[in-house]
Amino acid sequence: MYTKEEIFKAISTVIDPEVGFNLVEMGLIYDASSDDEGNVKVTMTLSTKACPLHQMILQWVKEAVEKLPDVKEVDIEVVWEPEWNISMADDNVKKALGA
Amino acid sequence: MMKISQDFAPPFKLIAPFFIIGGFFYILATLAVFLVHAQDLVYTSPVVISFTHLFLLGFVMMTIFGAMAQLVPVVLEVGHFGVELFYAIWTLLLIGTLLMVFGFLYSPALLPYGGMVVLISMMIFVGEIFLTIKKVKKLNLVMSSVLISNTFLFFGIIFGLLMALSYAGTISLDISQMLRAHVYSVIGGYIGITIMGLSIVLVPMFTLSHSFSLTPLRISITLMSMGVASVIGSALFDVEFLEYLGYFLSFLSLPFYFYIIYIIYKTRPRKENDIYAISMMFAYSAMLAAFFLAIVYFALHKEVFLLASAWVFFFGFFGFMITGHIYKIIPFLVWFERFSPLVGKQKIPMLVDMVPQRSSQAQFVFSTVGVVLVTFAILTKSETLLHGGASFLLFGALAFVRSMLYMINFK
Repeated sequence: MYTKEEIFKAISTVIDPEVGFNLVEMGLIYDASSDDEGNVKVTMTLSTKACPLHQMILQWVKEAVEKLPDVKEVDIEVVWEPEWNISMADDNVKKALGA
Repeated sequence: MMKISQDFAPPFKLIAPFFIIGGFFYILATLAVFLVHAQDLVYTSPVVISFTHLFLLGFVMMTIFGAMAQLVPVVLEVGHFGVELFYAIWTLLLIGTLLMVFGFLYSPALLPYGGMVVLISMMIFVGEIFLTIKKVKKLNLVMSSVLISNTFLFFGIIFGLLMALSYAGTISLDISQMLRAHVYSVIGGYIGITIMGLSIVLVPMFTLSHSFSLTPLRISITLMSMGVASVIGSALFDVEFLEYLGYFLSFLSLPFYFYIIYIIYKTRPRKENDIYAISMMFAYSAMLAAFFLAIVYFALHKEVFLLASAWVFFFGFFGFMITGHIYKIIPFLVWFERFSPLVGKQKIPMLVDMVPQRSSQAQFVFSTVGVVLVTFAILTKSETLLHGGASFLLFGALAFVRSMLYMINFK
């Protein structure tokens, strides 16, 4: 069973190629949990609903989490509520985007 | 807001020729500016018509067709009806445009042939897009804009062909009326509505904006569609009232479009001024300037203001709108095809790494100075300013093509 922080750390290897920061730094990963059977659930959003890499980013997140030992299933839920905004990103991202 | 999927996107080798050929036509269009005489500038001169077709057909339409080949299936979330048809589309559009430009400059007898080849190219494009849209069960606003714009393109090319036949003496028509219908269908109806519809997908995507109402865009597209239909009606039925109603409705649509773009920019999280952002700022400033010059034309009835307005609208608005988006679209397409399979396996570049900073900035600086100089050259009828402006434009176009080839060949 993994903690939220451990799953977030695994997902932090996924970089948004447009912005150049990882999804955790961008504040796109809202929540994560796992059970004793190795099932992981990730709740996340995307910076824009019109993201052309929508499916690909989900696949990258899935693959990143699956690299953790003993993970069997990864369930990713994409939510639009609350909608992502720049205040959710960390300071490095805000600075890079000029926010 | 629509969901976007890359699942149905065509391969980049199918899209790349549209952008590369479009870039070379951009250079040719700047060379055509050298042929223009500022002293006796009229929109019916063969050189001006040649420039217009090099720029609008060769650069604007070629690039938009390439972008649409990529974006239509992505936005509609269905595969193309016949994706291989795009190989024929760019080939025919290339041949037809060259024939038409050569025809305008040297041999009017070539015009019907060039017009027919362009017509076939565009008919294939329109037919392909219609058959692709037919697969969609429910249309959203962006899809509707694609449908409306392609319907206007269909009529625009029919009017263009009739004009070409008339130029060649095959049929007898009032060319000035047909010209109005042709120009309005293609520029307002196709290019205008396409830019309106697609920019509401692309601009928020690149600026990370969301949570804005699409109502102003809906109003804008409706007004522009009614305006274009009204101008076409005025040309076909010779009703002067419809012409002015059409102009009024078209002008009225622009503030609504500008308003939604303003809202997107005002609320954008991504505030860095990269080459895309400054290109967009210049493009929308040019749109406002063209709007102002058109109002001056209607107030004073001096043709130089109409020519200056059209120039600023073409090279300032359309030109920078397209070149700006190229700096986002090409890196994305190349990255998607070449580098996305390597994610997690090796270090790969970010999209921003794929844009050549110096040549993209050189393109922006040279092209903006060129646009401004040529605008003043048109207004003051100065030959010196015109050739100076054309020189800046040429260097800008060369830098643009250099940037484009760098991004396409990025390894």
